[in-house]
Amino acid sequence: MNIDVRDSGSVKVVAVDGRLDTTNYNELEAVVNKLINEGVKDVVFDLSALEYISSSGLRVMLLTLKKTGAAGGKLILCNMKEGIREIFEISGFTTIFTIMPDMNDALNQF
Amino acid sequence: MAIYIHDKNPASLTLGDQLKALPKTPGICMFIDIVGSTAEKYQNGVEVWGKKLNNTFNFISFLNNFPKHIVKGIGDEIMLYIPDDELTKHESLNSCLALLEEIYATLDNIINFPLPDLFMNCKVAMHYCTEVYNITFLENYNDYYGIDIDMTARLTKKAVTNRIVISETFFKKVVEDLAASGRGYTPEVISKISDKYIEDFKGVPEPVELRVIDV
Repeated sequence: MNIDVRDSGSVKVVAVDGRLDTTNYNELEAVVNKLINEGVKDVVFDLSALEYISSSGLRVMLLTLKKTGAAGGKLILCNMKEGIREIFEISGFTTIFTIMPDMNDALNQF
Repeated sequence: MAIYIHDKNPASLTLGDQLKALPKTPGICMFIDIVGSTAEKYQNGVEVWGKKLNNTFNFISFLNNFPKHIVKGIGDEIMLYIPDDELTKHESLNSCLALLEEIYATLDNIINFPLPDLFMNCKVAMHYCTEVYNITFLENYNDYYGIDIDMTARLTKKAVTNRIVISETFFKKVVEDLAASGRGYTPEVISKISDKYIEDFKGVPEPVELRVIDV
């Protein structure tokens, strides 16, 4: 998995590439914790290149949602592939996350 | 698929020979029990408990990742068995450590789900099995029998809501997997594994060593 972080104004865009599972969820968690500790509260996860997510990966998503919310900010997901959307739907996560079709729509949420 | 064991002759000599020649199927046995569903059924109608069971079964990722290895369901309790040679085929859920991390994350996600009343909590037992046979006494069914299946069922009795009970055998496999993974950190689930307990189980001649993880 590759993680790329870039700025879009005050929003951090985190692009996750590949599989997010038990072998590497800690890497994304470390990135998120670092951002939160640096005072970041608004985050977009760009999932255009995410191929698979397990419960461990969903847990990092949920933790990020809680931490950005606790900081007074938002977490927006965007560019979700169909297979990933299906996992989010089956697990009920589409009811608790804001999911936008593309990056422009995602950034417009802030 | 299971070997069908069937002989109409109760005094059969060939059946004994067949049974002695059975291959063992080492692997991981899991019992996942959804907690409180009986009370839910008494308190609420099918439109409520049926929905919660649906949501919870969907949420348990093992059922989606290992659909062929769901051996049986009895109401709200599910038995999975993943033979060693099948476990290694999965891209990431391919070790005892990975399975433990994944079920821990599943239970944690249910506990921390922001919307109420959608899911029910679970309890889990996990055991690494060596004394298991892929046999059935019912034609065309799949099943597993052996003292290690009974052991996993006994472990389940020690589980409570949001707890994972693991045998010492399974724990040792997790430790081996962690050492082999080369990870430079300790996964959260590892830090939550209790010290060893020693319990007497009905029908088991020796005391059983186990550990628990309260999520």
